[in-house]
Amino acid sequence: MSFYVYTLFFFFFVYFILAMGLNIQFGETGILNFAYIGFVAIGSYVTGATSLPKANTGIAAGQHFILGLNLPFPFNLLAGGIVSSLLAVIVAFIALRRLRTDYLAMVLISLSLVLYDVCNNFVPLFNGPDGLYNIPEPMSGVFHLDSNQFVGFFAAVTGIIALIMYLFMNRIMSSPLGRTFRAIRDDPGVASTLGKNIFKYQITSMVIGAFFAGIGGGLIIQFGGSFNTSAWLPGETFVVFAVVIVGGVGNNWGLLAGSLLVETILVHLPAFLPDIPGHTGLIQYIDAMLIGILLWVMLWFRPQGIVPEKIRSSASYLKRYGIKKGAEAVNVEVEK
Amino acid sequence: MSTADIAKGEPILSCTDLKKSFLGVVAVNGATFDVPKGLITALIGPNGAGKTTVINLLSGMMKSDSGSMRVGKTDVTNWPDFKIAAQGLMRTFQLSRELSGLSVLENLLVADRVQAGESLVNIFFRPALVKREEAANINRALEILKVYGLYDLRDNRASALSGGQKKLLEIARGVMANPVILLLDEPMAGVNPALIEKIGEYIIDLKNQGMTILMVEHNLNIVEKICDHVIVLAEGKTLATGRLSDLRADEAVVRAYLGEVINAHTSS
Repeated sequence: MSFYVYTLFFFFFVYFILAMGLNIQFGETGILNFAYIGFVAIGSYVTGATSLPKANTGIAAGQHFILGLNLPFPFNLLAGGIVSSLLAVIVAFIALRRLRTDYLAMVLISLSLVLYDVCNNFVPLFNGPDGLYNIPEPMSGVFHLDSNQFVGFFAAVTGIIALIMYLFMNRIMSSPLGRTFRAIRDDPGVASTLGKNIFKYQITSMVIGAFFAGIGGGLIIQFGGSFNTSAWLPGETFVVFAVVIVGGVGNNWGLLAGSLLVETILVHLPAFLPDIPGHTGLIQYIDAMLIGILLWVMLWFRPQGIVPEKIRSSASYLKRYGIKKGAEAVNVEVEK
Repeated sequence: MSTADIAKGEPILSCTDLKKSFLGVVAVNGATFDVPKGLITALIGPNGAGKTTVINLLSGMMKSDSGSMRVGKTDVTNWPDFKIAAQGLMRTFQLSRELSGLSVLENLLVADRVQAGESLVNIFFRPALVKREEAANINRALEILKVYGLYDLRDNRASALSGGQKKLLEIARGVMANPVILLLDEPMAGVNPALIEKIGEYIIDLKNQGMTILMVEHNLNIVEKICDHVIVLAEGKTLATGRLSDLRADEAVVRAYLGEVINAHTSS
């Protein structure tokens, strides 16, 4: 039983991280990144491939992949995040330079399909359709954990990482950089005439989001010990979108709510239900339908999400920057 | 900036033989003029004369087909808009384009051109610098909001403002960027007479602070009242430049091309 609970907690935390990454791209900067799950997958593969020994040796016997650096946790995880970010830079240079909104979304969705096909068919990269497996459980050797204890331990580790990443993201979102992201989202034309180099900021946003995607993906492969192409069908991107949209675009608390409702309750909780007799696997299809319906209902009745983006008040600005109320602008007696 | 050593009244923004057409429709057809520093210049002409297109070209939102533009001594022909903005040229829009999801205060804060806090590195490694700068910007933005009568609305979403308030916000946002040249595209269109009066005063104030203004305006009474210099565009060409009173004296010429505008004036 506790195994199930820990698993739920794990996915709750991971999807919170993933949602924060998509939110900075889509919710804050307005980039419709339909290739998001591709960045998650790259993070996952790279984390796995860097934590395994050389391909076809030891526990990696029978697997073909690049890297094989035997890196300890969390360096393998960081490698996943960084490579995912690098991929974002390349994608941004190709796609963001000239394209806007819907065209960009189309290019990204095809990118996601291309990435998928490459990983699925080019075996020497990440072992093709079999994917990577036998990934060592991080730190379980250090703490002498058995498989059951590991699940709880790693869910807690993921919670701590999610907290750190939340603090990191919160700092960005409440900084002038976050504000410029939102200005670009609201009207890129105006932001540009205000002297903002849109392309530069969009790359920055893509890189930050991809780093979060990569870390989330890395945690997934570390938790389950394996990762293959069946885990990241391009449609998975829309589950993350559902988390962000249902929870509330532009609000980290909303993402937490979305992660709980969509990912934990709708996706993972029913996975533990016994199969309906005679209809093996039906539950997961009902699941997908429920997510679709929920998304539709939310967009229709509450497009701002469960916890809407809050306006950043002048009082909060004064407080954050230590300006005393009333002390601002002493010479307020303007003649008009 | 290359504009500091230009004397008042000397050209600070000039364009030569600017041309722009849209799918064969010629919008600007060889516009050539100078905007004198430290004065208020009006850009007038009948509908379809290419005024807004000229503003779009000057601000870099559109690329010209041919011709050249200079800010001060710098050739900025076909530079992207954010680079032209860095030269100290800001613009407003005919139809207000507020940053709808941001608060009124944030609409101003975002306009400051160079912010240390827009760099990821500074956010994490130089927080004191970011904080100092941001605190100064907040104070300045609140003062500007007070001047423009938007202070009480500072925490509203910009999308919730009325049409007239959005017009004021456009100007305030431009001012926050501390520009050398401010292009105003019909700052008084669609606002009530009392507010027109007020916006006129704001613009004169900006001139007195040393700013150069180029504004598109249809109402010749206003042009006469606040503008020092007039550029007349017709069919995408510069028809005449000078003081409005001098142009009036040239009425025969003006009437031929600008009957619409002059008649509108004389009948009002």
